[in-house]
Amino acid sequence: MPHLLLLTTVFLPLLGAMLLHGDRVEVRRRALAAAIAALIGAAVLIAAYPGGAQPFAETDFAWFGDDAPVDIRFNIALDGLGLWLFGLTALLSITAVLVGWDAIKQQASLYYRLLLILETGMLGVFVARDIILFYVFFEFTLIPLFFLIGIWGSEERRYAAIKFFLFTLAGSVLTFLGLLSIVIWDYANPIGPAADWKMTFSIPQLTAHLCLRPMDEQLQLWIFLALFAGFAVKVPLFPLHTWLPLAHVQAPTAGSVILAGILLKIGTYGFVRFNLAMLPAASALLVPWMLGLAAAGIIYGALVALAQKDMKKLIAYSSVSHLGFCMLGLFAANPLGVEGATLQMINHGLSTGGLFAVVGMLYERYHTRQIADLGGLAKKLPVLSFFMLVLTLSSIGLPGLNGFVGEFLILLGAFQRAWAGVPLSAGWTLKTISILAVFGVVLGAWYMLWMYLRIFFGPLREPKDEDHHEEVRDMNSREIASLLPLLLFIVWIGVYPRFFLDRMSPTLQQLTGNVQAKCDITVTANNTSDLAPPIAPRGRGG
Amino acid sequence: MTYQTVLQLLPEILLVAFAVAIYVGSAFSDAQRGWNRAALAGVVLAACALATVHYHPAGGYPLFQDGLALFARWMALALAALYILLSFKPLPGGGTPEMFGSLLLIVAGVMLAAAAADLVLIFVSLELISIPTYILLYLGRRDALQQESAAKYFYLSVLSSAILLYGFSFLYGLAGSTDLHNIHDVFLDAGGLPQGFELFAKLAAVLAIAGLSFRLTAVPFHFYAPDVYQGTTHANAALLSVIPKLAGLAVLVRIAWWAMPDGGHLALGIVAALAVLSMTLGNVLALWQDNLRRLMAYSSIAHAGYLLLGLAAALAMRNIQPGAWDGIGAMMFYLCVYAAATIGTFAVFEHLGGSTRRVEGIDELAGLGREKPTVAAMLAAFMFSLTGIPILAGFWGKFQIFGSALSVASDAETAFLRPLFIALAVVGVLNAAVSAAYYLRIVGAMYFRAPLGKFRAEGGTGALLAAALCCLLVLGLGLYPRPLLRASDRARPQLEIVGQVSNLSHPK
Repeated sequence: MPHLLLLTTVFLPLLGAMLLHGDRVEVRRRALAAAIAALIGAAVLIAAYPGGAQPFAETDFAWFGDDAPVDIRFNIALDGLGLWLFGLTALLSITAVLVGWDAIKQQASLYYRLLLILETGMLGVFVARDIILFYVFFEFTLIPLFFLIGIWGSEERRYAAIKFFLFTLAGSVLTFLGLLSIVIWDYANPIGPAADWKMTFSIPQLTAHLCLRPMDEQLQLWIFLALFAGFAVKVPLFPLHTWLPLAHVQAPTAGSVILAGILLKIGTYGFVRFNLAMLPAASALLVPWMLGLAAAGIIYGALVALAQKDMKKLIAYSSVSHLGFCMLGLFAANPLGVEGATLQMINHGLSTGGLFAVVGMLYERYHTRQIADLGGLAKKLPVLSFFMLVLTLSSIGLPGLNGFVGEFLILLGAFQRAWAGVPLSAGWTLKTISILAVFGVVLGAWYMLWMYLRIFFGPLREPKDEDHHEEVRDMNSREIASLLPLLLFIVWIGVYPRFFLDRMSPTLQQLTGNVQAKCDITVTANNTSDLAPPIAPRGRGG
Repeated sequence: MTYQTVLQLLPEILLVAFAVAIYVGSAFSDAQRGWNRAALAGVVLAACALATVHYHPAGGYPLFQDGLALFARWMALALAALYILLSFKPLPGGGTPEMFGSLLLIVAGVMLAAAAADLVLIFVSLELISIPTYILLYLGRRDALQQESAAKYFYLSVLSSAILLYGFSFLYGLAGSTDLHNIHDVFLDAGGLPQGFELFAKLAAVLAIAGLSFRLTAVPFHFYAPDVYQGTTHANAALLSVIPKLAGLAVLVRIAWWAMPDGGHLALGIVAALAVLSMTLGNVLALWQDNLRRLMAYSSIAHAGYLLLGLAAALAMRNIQPGAWDGIGAMMFYLCVYAAATIGTFAVFEHLGGSTRRVEGIDELAGLGREKPTVAAMLAAFMFSLTGIPILAGFWGKFQIFGSALSVASDAETAFLRPLFIALAVVGVLNAAVSAAYYLRIVGAMYFRAPLGKFRAEGGTGALLAAALCCLLVLGLGLYPRPLLRASDRARPQLEIVGQVSNLSHPK
């Protein structure tokens, strides 16, 4: 009964949220229990995932009734693209519950309710197989996070919450139009006898239809842009990222963990699921533009991160840079790049989610986020500094940890795209972009290690502040428990990425096969110089 | 007038009888209470009578029994019940039972207007809405602001009636009859309009749309709304933001969509322009409002724009085989979910007020989330629904409206309208994003700020019950919109084949 398990896992946090009551201590314990139950469900599902490109644990029934002219279905299932993001959501939700354990004092039951509701929303996004159901989950995640930032955030929380909501909504309403246009265009252009033709909202069906009978390029471009509006804000792609640092800095720790760890991935997920899979011609056409934006984000995010004085802000800008890598891999549009990017989504969730959690722990101890206020903490807080070190190294892509695998595959993909027989005119652009991206890795190491250096080494420096009277202690077991699972996966992915890649690659190949073919065709068609033969696409990297 | 017609009119007759009884009875009785129950009983009885009226797709004179008429009549009764609950507690400074009498007359007017098949009947029933509304606006509080708002409403309403009547006179001139069926036939017959009369048809369309736009509070006929809403009670503001829209839309569909098929492109252009103007102006101006009712007035203007967008889609698809979305059902669905959220909002405001003082500004809601979590959660649900965030009912309304607009854009027969409708849809969704800004201000005030004072919450349990019912609708229809979708799908007048059905169907 895997489908029942999936259904339960998705809605278990919501159920937990509804049943949540009691005082602060009771509420947080129950919330943790609900999150752990969801994680167990997710773990069993991932263990049972058979691989291949078939959907797993599918539940499918008509939401609006079978006779409805608008046949919106409640259709959820796991596939290779959503599998690991689903698991990551369940994992990071536990971290999110644990990091607020002591910090959240007011309105605790509302807080944990919102966290659990948010978890259901995010789990739903990654398993939805109906376009409207996807959008429902996609938009719905805004509401709990809006409250989490606005109620439990820091000084400018009201402004940050509203800016976050409006920015994302403004983009995603256009995405909504784009999704609807796909459905309606599909309905207006029947395959086979028109009498049997029904309007469908099913993502796999629409994908199959659009493979069989693609839209004309012009229309694809317009719809691509509409979808882009929402997903690019979510990612966030330079220059639509301005809401992100503000939201991150103002959000409570759990909000930052979830925002960076999972919500940003909804954007990249949407790009794979819809733009690449359904609009291959437009995607292929826009490859140079998207790669350019990705590289701009990588470099810009890294440079701005270098200049930050606030730890949270620094990590927020590093997210802009890292998500630029994800986009670079996706729009390299070859197996290496796409797989690397999908893996990098998980990596970034683990490392940046963890980093935000550690910064939150530091903030609980010292009530400051300023790098300049702190120094030499390695001696005083050895365990915390160890965790921070591993997360930092993972974030900058040290070989042996997860970040390396993802970034390496992405760069490999980008270089392959740039050098694999692209005509000279476009070639220079792509080559420049790929080389710039490498500099992004270097810059990443610089700003992360520099921050680590300033906080943890050198003479001990603590803020002279009346706020913290209690003695500063090292991480307690609750805090260790919130980060240990992340470390486990950081090492696991770094040492044996095949386990993860194997389960995602058939689906990814199926989803992006078209756009890859389109890109390769463009290459061969334009390839007049015959300098380099196109590299044959490989089955899998890693 | 036959016995059959009287039976069909029974719900309206009952409502009017109850209204008269309340007007007369309250003059001779000191009791402040009890009249609200009488009004509720009247609505329930009218509902029983309406249950005996059966669906008949085509024809009917002087009353239609088609989907639109039945849907609008049921909806009017439901709105009346909510309104009575909302104002169950007597107003501060002495109860005014006349309020309930006026309400019943207004509802009877809406029900008649939605079913009327004759220009004169339509006009009279619209006046049956207007005149009690003037009384309603004068009742209760007696200060300068209210006087001003009532006077403003009166003058503009009279002006709009005059414009509408002028338009009707052209229609009569063209068809030689006030019967909508005849007008319909004249427009539809091949040699219908005599040479040179197209201008009059266009004039009729323009004037009718202009006159009815006042009811919809569509720009540029919206000027009264902010002042009137601000000057009156929460209950009246709730009434004004929904009930005239229902009557106006139903009549607009009857005249511009059903009776005047040829006026199509001109009407389409006007409606599309009004839609864009209303959405944009309403949403943008709402951003600067601090008074709750004034804010909701601009919100009401903006939502009129979305409704008109649905009407534009319906006009464009009039002659096409209806697919999943034909605009009219979308519009009716939208109106229902808008009504639920708006009445709920005003019910919450009403509930929060003290016995002598109403809630006025956004600031007064500060800290509500902590002080009264249930009420705050309801208001937040209404705000998110009005924005159109899933999984609340408002989302499906927007889904229907934009689905209709994009259907026009995708249809081969209306390919020349594609840029227009894509532009309309884009403007529409961007407006939804803009509207989030001011709805979120309310949510933000409730949850992100510390309370400024105590919440009196003396508005009575009736208002709370109305809010709870609306909240149930907003959540329930959000999770499972199917029943309302099914009902609103049928809420459209039957289109007839040239000169065929109409001759048979209405005995004279």
